[in-house]
Amino acid sequence: MDKKELISFEEDIKKIYEDGKIKAPVHLSGGNEEQLIEIFKNVDKDDWVFSSWRNHYHALLHGVDKEFLKDLIVRGKSMSVYSDKPKFYSSSIVGGIIPIALGTAMSIKMKGGENKVWCFVGDMTFESGIFYECYKYSRNFDLPLQFVVEDNGLSTNTPTEETWGGKQTPPADVYHYEYERTYPHHGTGNWVLF
Amino acid sequence: MKYKDELIRSMKWLADKDDTIFIGQSVLHSGNAIYNTLKDIDEEKRIEVPVFEEVQMGMSTGMALNGIVPICCFPRFDFMLRCMDSLVNHLDKMQTMTEGTFKPKVIMRTSIGSTNPLDGGVQHTQDYTMSFKSMLHEVDVVLLEEPDNIFTEFQSAYNGDRSTLLVEYGDYYNDK
Repeated sequence: MDKKELISFEEDIKKIYEDGKIKAPVHLSGGNEEQLIEIFKNVDKDDWVFSSWRNHYHALLHGVDKEFLKDLIVRGKSMSVYSDKPKFYSSSIVGGIIPIALGTAMSIKMKGGENKVWCFVGDMTFESGIFYECYKYSRNFDLPLQFVVEDNGLSTNTPTEETWGGKQTPPADVYHYEYERTYPHHGTGNWVLF
Repeated sequence: MKYKDELIRSMKWLADKDDTIFIGQSVLHSGNAIYNTLKDIDEEKRIEVPVFEEVQMGMSTGMALNGIVPICCFPRFDFMLRCMDSLVNHLDKMQTMTEGTFKPKVIMRTSIGSTNPLDGGVQHTQDYTMSFKSMLHEVDVVLLEEPDNIFTEFQSAYNGDRSTLLVEYGDYYNDK
């Protein structure tokens, strides 16, 4: 999927949401198309991808069927997108997805598998204690787990750097990129009457 | 057979399955009562992990997603309060969130801390069975009160398609 197709998908969802047809929060992706397209060149179709509440682009770029994804979102499942083929799972609790990704990576190693686990987290999640526990464990035991920190400086609207009094520098083996989000934390920025 | 013997028998039965693994604190190194029910099991089947209950619970869920059946051991019920996000918000919600697509099966063991002959005090002896039952909907909670039920309960936990938390009584290791 290219940048134009990604943006177009979210614009379609935006319209459906503003028409009052989605009776749940939607977390639209935007502003990080180019970075994600580059990262997903390294993701194998049989790899596991774990994501968060803002997951639409991750799902699309991992090969989740566009119509299946759209159906999920319209049915109110923007925050919990999943797929068995390709393997994709998301959670809307900050940090909660990381140990699950860690365990899946561990199981791949135990079974002698060759695939990887990709775990996408935001910059606030990256600062949390559970990230450091899981990162440390995965590296000490050489697990096939690749972290990606997507840094828009905010968690909901809480500024990460201001509230922590600073920010940590991600380790060299963690993908990290900064971007400015196109849409608000959830919704589209326009008032919607349901 | 007695309470502890039934637990040992159940663990041996689980250990014979190709897809099981035992994970937790004091599963490979001594330190609590649960260890004494696992010490004869092949070391390759036991993963001693750091004290990070939240991660341990989530790891077990992630392993289960990929076809492993973890027997996830928490030495005392009190310590399980440290893993509630992974248990309640994740493992217990996964079937609903994925509309039945992902059904991770984790078998959890914990123990209500003993009070006799040593009383562990209020941070090591609580029974949260009813509280957990009221919070968990995709995870079954089973209280192991009698030796006769122990083996069949572990068999049911393994043969079923849901996750199960089996709660032991530390005091019964000696008393029943």
